[in-house]
Amino acid sequence: MNNDQASSGAFFIIGLAIAFGAVRYKLGTFSAPDSGLMPFLVGTAISLLAGIGFVHATLGKRKGVGWTPLLEKLRWERVLIVLAALVAYILLVKTLGFLICTALFIGFLLKAVVPQRWPTVFAVSLITALASYGIFELWLKAQLPRGIF
Amino acid sequence: MDFFANVILGFQTAFQPINFLFCFVGVLTGTLVGVLPGLGPVAAMSLLLPTTFHVSPVAAIIMLAGIYYGAMYGGSTTSILVNIPGEAASVVTCLDGYKMARQGRAGPALGIAAFASFIAGTFSIVGLMLIAPPLAEMALKFGPPEYFSLMALGLTVLTFLASGPMWKTLIMACLGLFLGNIGMDSINATFRFTFGILELSDGVGLVPVAMGLFGISEVFLNVEQSMGRTVFEAKIKNLLPSLKDWAESFWPIIRGTVLGFFLGVLPGGGSLISSFVSYAVEKKFSKTPEKFGTGMIAGVAGPEAANNSATGGAFIPLLTLGIPGNAVTALLLGALIIYGVQPGPKMVIEHADLFWGVIASMYLGNAMLLVLNLPLIGLWVKILKVPYPILFPLILLFCLIGGYSLNNSLTEVGLMVIFGVIGYLLKKFQYEAAPLILALVLGPMMEHSFRASLTMFDGNPAQFFFRPISAVIMTIAILLLILPLIPGMKKRPAIGDGED
Repeated sequence: MNNDQASSGAFFIIGLAIAFGAVRYKLGTFSAPDSGLMPFLVGTAISLLAGIGFVHATLGKRKGVGWTPLLEKLRWERVLIVLAALVAYILLVKTLGFLICTALFIGFLLKAVVPQRWPTVFAVSLITALASYGIFELWLKAQLPRGIF
Repeated sequence: MDFFANVILGFQTAFQPINFLFCFVGVLTGTLVGVLPGLGPVAAMSLLLPTTFHVSPVAAIIMLAGIYYGAMYGGSTTSILVNIPGEAASVVTCLDGYKMARQGRAGPALGIAAFASFIAGTFSIVGLMLIAPPLAEMALKFGPPEYFSLMALGLTVLTFLASGPMWKTLIMACLGLFLGNIGMDSINATFRFTFGILELSDGVGLVPVAMGLFGISEVFLNVEQSMGRTVFEAKIKNLLPSLKDWAESFWPIIRGTVLGFFLGVLPGGGSLISSFVSYAVEKKFSKTPEKFGTGMIAGVAGPEAANNSATGGAFIPLLTLGIPGNAVTALLLGALIIYGVQPGPKMVIEHADLFWGVIASMYLGNAMLLVLNLPLIGLWVKILKVPYPILFPLILLFCLIGGYSLNNSLTEVGLMVIFGVIGYLLKKFQYEAAPLILALVLGPMMEHSFRASLTMFDGNPAQFFFRPISAVIMTIAILLLILPLIPGMKKRPAIGDGED
């Protein structure tokens, strides 16, 4: 299997799911279209296009287009660290509040992804948290989460 | 007479202190995101969109537009000094701009890039002023079939011009249309694909999707790499080009301006394709085409003029028809709708202050950009030296704040992160995000005009070809779809994943 076969296969299934899901909302007729018609047509089009893509990719495979590694020679673990930090931020910000959570978030990323010196970590995380609080909460009145403290 | 009265109204609006300030903030932010690789105008506009909810729509749109054309200016600085395009439309500037810098001519390269941008930007605004009002008047005669055809053409042109196989870009466009269908059906109030999530009842927000696909995914892609970059270290001098430089750049700037403007007007066209076409044209016109890529000033002047001119052109379909031609103008359209302004032919009359104010602000913005980009070049070089490991947490924080402050909803922030992961995977599998964004914005409008047209035609889709305007537009769209299938007419060189 090559990359295009995999992705077109996935889109084929997604398209089918959309088309089947759309039927629940009634398709109506062409002269009186209902809520499901447009998503049904779009889902069907995705599946059709993915089918074309799969054939295209299969022909390419016969010509020697194989699987291209997606993560080779890359520091993919950093992506997971950043993703984990984002998820943690979303889960904790209501409890810890914007200021604490932001300082921890910035500090963690500065130390965990490409480790910076501690003074840099403290300075950047504190200044960023305070400055963004000042700009968004105090100046632009963007009601940021306050936390339980 | 009306025209001059409107121009005066525009300048009165643009010179109001708050609008003037927001114009400055816009072009400054635009230059900044243009200078910084990995953050394009779409991401920046999405980030700042929620912060504009407390000001008038005029000030907000003036600022967002400023980010767009400001990024075109700033992008050239990074291309010339670092050999990395600050934003997609400056890719071509790397070819000769960086070579000029290596030869000790960074100053003239930066200078001609700024002057070419200024000249082209100014001319494109004049074009916008002259063409937009009569076009809007003509568009008043358009019905749902014409609108549907135009939107279909916009998506088709974008997929035709995008890099990679057409089936991939069409899938992205369809996925965007589907996302645009999520939420309450505006015709019979049915909730579709919301899965009981309250935040989805108004549809999938443009901001979380754009920030996820263009902001967060870009960070994911950058952090897994080495994150190092070398900034051109020598002192930058002689920013004012010599007479010889001007002589070599004069015609490339003129050609780039004209080309860029008309390619910008085309739905699906935009700054990126304009700069590529301009570079190709200059090579054709040159007596020494073999020297292109070795530090030719025409290779900087032409494309820089073209990508700036295209920004003015891109506003024409948006402001007159309410149809965005690319991802950036799609975001502007989304912003207008959020502010309660319905873009389209009536906007020229119903929101004259906004229409003419935005256009007039572009004149001011262009002048500001010339000042920002020449005397302050040292400042931009310093910003370029901020290491990415320190910069990326700040970009993520802006995304988080932007995503949250839109509706004070953490669900939307979660949605943004999910789209960040989706964007990362899409780029890994070489799918472009720009058609998805455009289709997401067009989705509800397309569905509405499609259903209205079908009802009008009593269910016969062939009627699209019996109305002259929609017939011509539909025929062009179909031809564009068929063209790549004809042997010898296969796709043009890849133009990359442009935001526009």
